[in-house]
Amino acid sequence: MASVSIRNVTKAFGESVVIRNFNEEIQDGEFITFLGPSGCGKTTMLRIIAGFEKQTDGEVYIDGQLVSGKKTFVPPEKRGIGMVFQNYAVWPHMTVFENVAYPLTLRKTPKEEIRERVEKALELVHLSGHRDHLPARLSGGQQQRVALARALVAAPGLLLLDEPLSNLDAKLRESMRFEIKRIQKEMGITVVYVTHDQAEAMAMSDRIFVINRGVIQQAGTPEEIYNEPVNQFVADFLGKVDFFKGEAQDDRITFPGMGGQSLPYQGERRGKVDVAIRPENLFFSQDGPLSGVLETQFYMGDVDDCRVRVGDTLVRVIAEGFAYRSLKEGQEVRLGVRDLMVFEDNGMLEEMLRIRT
Amino acid sequence: MKNTKAMQKPVGQHEQRDPKVLLVRAGLAAIFLLGAALVFMGYRGRKLYESYGFAGGEGFQTIYQLSASVSEIWEGQVRKEIGKQTAEEQEKLHETAVLLLNELWEENSLNSSAGASAENVSEEGLSAENVSEEGLSAENVSGEGLSAENASGEGTSSENAPAASSLQPELLKDRDLSMKLLYTAYLVKGPKVSTSNRKKIQQADPEEAALLRQELLACALDDTRSTPSTVKKAVSKLEGTERTAMLMQAFFTSCNTDSQEKLTEQVNAFKKGVRGKEEQLEAFQMIAGGKMSWGWQLVISRSRTIILLGVLLMLDMALLTMFMASDRRWRFDAKWLLVLLIIDFLLVFQLLPLVYISARTLFPEGRLTFRILQRLFSYSLNREAVRNTLITAFSTMVLGTLIAFPLAFLVGRTNLYGRKFFRALFVLTYMVPPYVGAMAWLRLMNPNVGVINLWLRRILPIGNGPGPLNVYSVPGMIWVLTSFYYPYAFITISRAMEKMDPSLEDASRISGASPVKTIFKITLPLMMPSLLAGALLVFVAAASCYGIPSIIGKPGNVSTVTTRIVEYTALGQQGVNDAISLSVFLMAISLLILFISDVVLARRQYITVSGKSVSPSIVHLRSFRIPLTVAVSLFAVIMIVLPFATILTTSFKVDVGKSVLAAHNFTTQNWKIVFSRTETLSCLKNSLLFSAAAATAGILISCVMNYLMQRTRIRGRSIPNFLITLGSGTPSVVIALGLIMTMRGSFGINIYGTAYIMIVAYMIKYLMMGMRTVASAMSQIHVSLEECSQISGAGWLYTMRRITWPLISPSIAAGWFLIFIPCFYELSMTTLLYSSTTKTIGFELYEYWTFTSQPMSCAMAFGILLAVTFLNFLLAKLTGGKFSI
Repeated sequence: MASVSIRNVTKAFGESVVIRNFNEEIQDGEFITFLGPSGCGKTTMLRIIAGFEKQTDGEVYIDGQLVSGKKTFVPPEKRGIGMVFQNYAVWPHMTVFENVAYPLTLRKTPKEEIRERVEKALELVHLSGHRDHLPARLSGGQQQRVALARALVAAPGLLLLDEPLSNLDAKLRESMRFEIKRIQKEMGITVVYVTHDQAEAMAMSDRIFVINRGVIQQAGTPEEIYNEPVNQFVADFLGKVDFFKGEAQDDRITFPGMGGQSLPYQGERRGKVDVAIRPENLFFSQDGPLSGVLETQFYMGDVDDCRVRVGDTLVRVIAEGFAYRSLKEGQEVRLGVRDLMVFEDNGMLEEMLRIRT
Repeated sequence: MKNTKAMQKPVGQHEQRDPKVLLVRAGLAAIFLLGAALVFMGYRGRKLYESYGFAGGEGFQTIYQLSASVSEIWEGQVRKEIGKQTAEEQEKLHETAVLLLNELWEENSLNSSAGASAENVSEEGLSAENVSEEGLSAENVSGEGLSAENASGEGTSSENAPAASSLQPELLKDRDLSMKLLYTAYLVKGPKVSTSNRKKIQQADPEEAALLRQELLACALDDTRSTPSTVKKAVSKLEGTERTAMLMQAFFTSCNTDSQEKLTEQVNAFKKGVRGKEEQLEAFQMIAGGKMSWGWQLVISRSRTIILLGVLLMLDMALLTMFMASDRRWRFDAKWLLVLLIIDFLLVFQLLPLVYISARTLFPEGRLTFRILQRLFSYSLNREAVRNTLITAFSTMVLGTLIAFPLAFLVGRTNLYGRKFFRALFVLTYMVPPYVGAMAWLRLMNPNVGVINLWLRRILPIGNGPGPLNVYSVPGMIWVLTSFYYPYAFITISRAMEKMDPSLEDASRISGASPVKTIFKITLPLMMPSLLAGALLVFVAAASCYGIPSIIGKPGNVSTVTTRIVEYTALGQQGVNDAISLSVFLMAISLLILFISDVVLARRQYITVSGKSVSPSIVHLRSFRIPLTVAVSLFAVIMIVLPFATILTTSFKVDVGKSVLAAHNFTTQNWKIVFSRTETLSCLKNSLLFSAAAATAGILISCVMNYLMQRTRIRGRSIPNFLITLGSGTPSVVIALGLIMTMRGSFGINIYGTAYIMIVAYMIKYLMMGMRTVASAMSQIHVSLEECSQISGAGWLYTMRRITWPLISPSIAAGWFLIFIPCFYELSMTTLLYSSTTKTIGFELYEYWTFTSQPMSCAMAFGILLAVTFLNFLLAKLTGGKFSI
C-alpha cells in the first residue's frame, strides 16, 4: 500500500554521525526489518521515516511523495503512518476505546464509523472485551496490542514498529511475532520493524537490513543473510559462529592455530583470510579433515554441544543429541565441515565484533 | 490448606515454650511497667509539689540547692562554734533563736509590737520559754488566719497551699534544728549586713575568726556586753532584739567562709522562686529539717519531665511490642531503637505542640466546640485577614501556575535559546528569602517614590500624583507573592515534564495530531495531577507566608492570617489564645490541601515514566524561537534582574528616594556599617550555627529513616515519614506557636528562649528537604549492590563505608544544604521564637528594614543573596551538578 524510498540519508548529532549514506527502497507490502546492535542507528532511521527526526542530508519519499528533504518537511501527523513504540505509549488517561479511537477522532470521522472501526481493530488484536478499561488494568502484552490497534485503526499504508516486543516476556514475544505477521498479511500493509533480536527478524521479515554503526551492512532475505553474509559482522550477528585465522593458497586453507591442519577450499580468495564456521556445520566423522581431542560436551537433549581442541584452538561443535552416548571427554575425534564462510582478513575482525550486543 | 495449618500449629506451640521469647516479653513488660511507675511517680511528685504550694516557677529546686549549702556551712562551722559554748549558754542561745524565729513570723501579722514583747522576754529570761510557747500557739492560730488572708489576697501564689503551715513545734524544740532554721531564714530575710562589713567579718584569719564568732555569740546573749569593733558600726544604733538579730546574722555570716557568690545566687533564686510568706516558712522548715531524700527532690522538682519520660517509655514499649510481634521469634533489632528515638523526637516536638494547640482551640472545655473560632471570626479584622489570605493565596496559585506551565514547557521541551540558563535562573528564585523580594518590589512599586511608578508617570499622561501602581494593596501583595512562589510550581511541573515518556506525545503526533493539539489532548491531561499538586503547593506556601505580608501588608494595612497571628502573640494571654486559634485554622487549611494533593492526586498520578531513560523530544519553535526567547528574557528581567538590581543599588544609597547615581548619593558606608557591627556578626554566627545544627541533625535523621524505609522491612518505619511530611506541611508560624505553648516547661521540657527551640523548629519545618533528597538517591542504588558486597564477604559496616556511602554522599551533601539554606535566612519562626541572645540574620534584617535603615538592610539582603547563590554554586560543584536548587 505504500512504498518508502530512502535516498542518501545521513544523520549526525553534532559531531557524531549516527547514519551514514542510507540508501534503500522498500517495496509496497514488504515486511522490512532493521536489525542491528543497540546504538547502530536503526531507531533513528525509523524516526526519520516517521518524521520525529530530520536527517542532516538526503531525502525520504513515501509513495513517491517527498516527505523530507532539503526544503520540504512533512510533520509526522501529516504522513499517514501508523507506529508502535517500544514502551507501548498507551495514554493512561484514556480508556482502551478512546486510545484506539484517537487517530479517527482527529480525522473527524463520524461517530458511528469510529465505533465500527475501533471494534474491528480491537477484534484484530483480540482485545474486544477490554474496550472500556483503563490501560493501567492491562498487562504489558495487552497494552502493546492496544498500541497496535491504535496504529492500525486509521488503515495506514505504512506501519512502523520500534522494538515493540522487547518489553514482553519470552513466550508472549513469540506469539506476538506471528500475530503481527498475520495482521500484516491480512491488511497487506508495508511494515518497517526495528529490532536487535535476530530470531524476531528471521521469523517475520521479507527482507532484513543489517545495520552497524549507521551503515547498512547487508540487505537481503533472511536466508541470504544467514547463509551468505557479506562480512564478518553479519556472519557473527546472525546465528552462532566461530572465527579462525587462516591462509588460503591453491585450493586449501591452512590454519596456523590448529597446528597447520587445513581444509579444502574452492573459492577465489587467497592469502590471509578469516574463516567463519557455524558450530552446527561441524560434525563428527571418522574421515573428517580435522583431528582433535574432545574436551567437554554438554548434553542439551536435542543437540550435543561440544568443545574440541584442534591444535591450540578450541572449536565448538553442535552435534546431534545422540552423539553424546558414543563420545567420551578426552577422546580423539575427527571433524567434518559442511559449510564455511571465508572473508578477507582486513585486520578489522576484533574491531567489528567488539560492538555486538 | 490443611497441611499448612498442621505445619503451623507445632511451631506455635514451640514458640510458646521458647524461654527466650518469654524473657523478651518479660523484659518488654518490665520496661513498660517502669514507664508506668515513672508516670505514677511523676504524678505523685506533681501532687506533692502542688501541695507545697510551689505550683509555679522553679521554687522547689532552689529550696534544695539552698538546703545543701546550708547543711554544708552548718556542719562546717556553725555547729562547731555553738558546741564551744557551755550548756547553759547553749540553752540560752536556743531560747534566743526561738524568740527571733517567732519574731520573724510575727512581723506585720497579729502582734504589731513584736519588738516590745521580745524586749520583755529577754529581760525576764525565765519566762521566755513560756512566752515563746504561747507565741507558738498564737502563731498556730495566726497562721491559719494568715493563710486565709493569703488565699483571698494573694490568690495566685498559693492557691494550692495546704491549710495553715506554721513553725513546727518539734523543729523549735530541737536545739540544733531551731538554730539551723534561724540561719536559713536569716540567709533570706535576716537583717542586712553591708558588703564592707561582711568582708571585714569574713576576711579575718582562722584563729581571729573563731574568736570573733565566740565574741559575737556572747554579745548576742548579753545585751550589755560591748560589741567587737568589726560590727560596732552596724549595731551601734540598734537595741534589743534588733541588736541580737544583727549579731546573730553577723555570727552566721562569719561562719560562711567560702563561696559567698554561690550562696547569694541561690538566695536570689530562692527569693524569686518562693514568694509567699507561707511558702517561705514551709521551705525554711524543709531546708532546716533536711527531710527529703535526693530522689524525692528530683521527683518533685522534675515531676513533669518524669511523667513525659514515663509516657514515652510506655508508648515506645507498646510500639516495640507491635514491631516485634510481627516476628515469630520476637527477635530484637537494634534498629528499632533508632526508629523509636526518631518517633519520640517527632512526637514530643512536633505532634504534641500541634495537638495541644488544636485541642486548646477545639476542646477548650473538654468537648468539641467552635465557640472560640466563632468569636474570633466575629471580629471584622480577622474576617478580613482570612479573606485577604484566601484571595492572595488563590490568585497567587492561579497566576503562578499560569506562569509556570508555559515557562516549564518552553525551558524544558523546546529549543529556546539559553534554556539551561533560564532554568537555573528560575529555580534559583526558589532559594531567595521571600522578604528580600518583598523589599525589592516595595522599592519598585511604592506608590510615591517607586522606580516603576516614576517611569510610568513620565511615560503616561497621568500627572504627578501617587501611583499608578501601589504595592501596599492586595493586588500588590499578589504580585509579589507570585513573583516569589511561581518557582514552586515551575519546579514541580518541570520535573513531571522531564519524567514524562516522550513516546506518549510521539504516538499522538503519528496518530495525526499537531504539536499544539498534542499539548492540549495529551501533555496537559497527563500533567494535570502534577500541575494541580504544584498549584496547591503554591497555595499553601502563599497562605502560610509571613515575610511578604509582614513587609508589604503592614504599611498598607493589608493583614493576613499570618500577620494577625504574630500580632496577636504580642498581646498578652488572650492574644496568645487568639493567635493559637487562628493558627489552628491556618493549619487545618494547609493540611487539608496537602492531604488532597498527596493522597487524592498521588493516586491519580499516572505512571508515565518509561523504563529506558529517554531525553524528552524537543519541540522546534521555528519562527517563534526568537520572539519567545525575547519574551522569556523580558520575564526574567522583570521578575529577577530588576528586583535584585534594586536591592543592590539601594544598598549603596544615602537617600533612598534619589537615584544612586545622583550627586553625593553613592556610599559604601551601609555595607561597612552593617558588616562591622558586632550585633550583625553575632546574628550571622547564630544563623550559621543554628542552621548547621538543624541541617546536621536533620540529615542524620533523613539517612537513618531512609535506610530503614528502603533497606529494611521493620514495622513502623513509615510512621516517622508521615510525621515528617506533616511537619513540613504545617505553616511556619503554627509550628513556632505550638512550640512556644508547649516547650516552656508545662510538659516537662523548657527550652523556650534558647537556641534549641529554634533548631527544633527549623528541623521540623525543613527536614523534608533532606528526606526527599536522600530518598531519591537511595532508591537509585539497587539493594543488589549492597548484597553483592556482602556476598563478597564484607560486613555491614564495611559495605556501608565502601559501597553505600560513596554512592549517596553527594545527595547527603545536597540534602544538608537544602536544609541549611532555608534555615539560614528563616524569618517567620524566628520572629516568634527569638530571644535577645538568639537573634538570627533574617530577623536582624527585618528589624533593620522596619526600624533602622532600608539601605543597610538591603546591603544585608544582598549579602544573604550572595551567600545563598554561593552555597548553591558550591552544592552544584560538590555534587557534580547533579543537585542544586
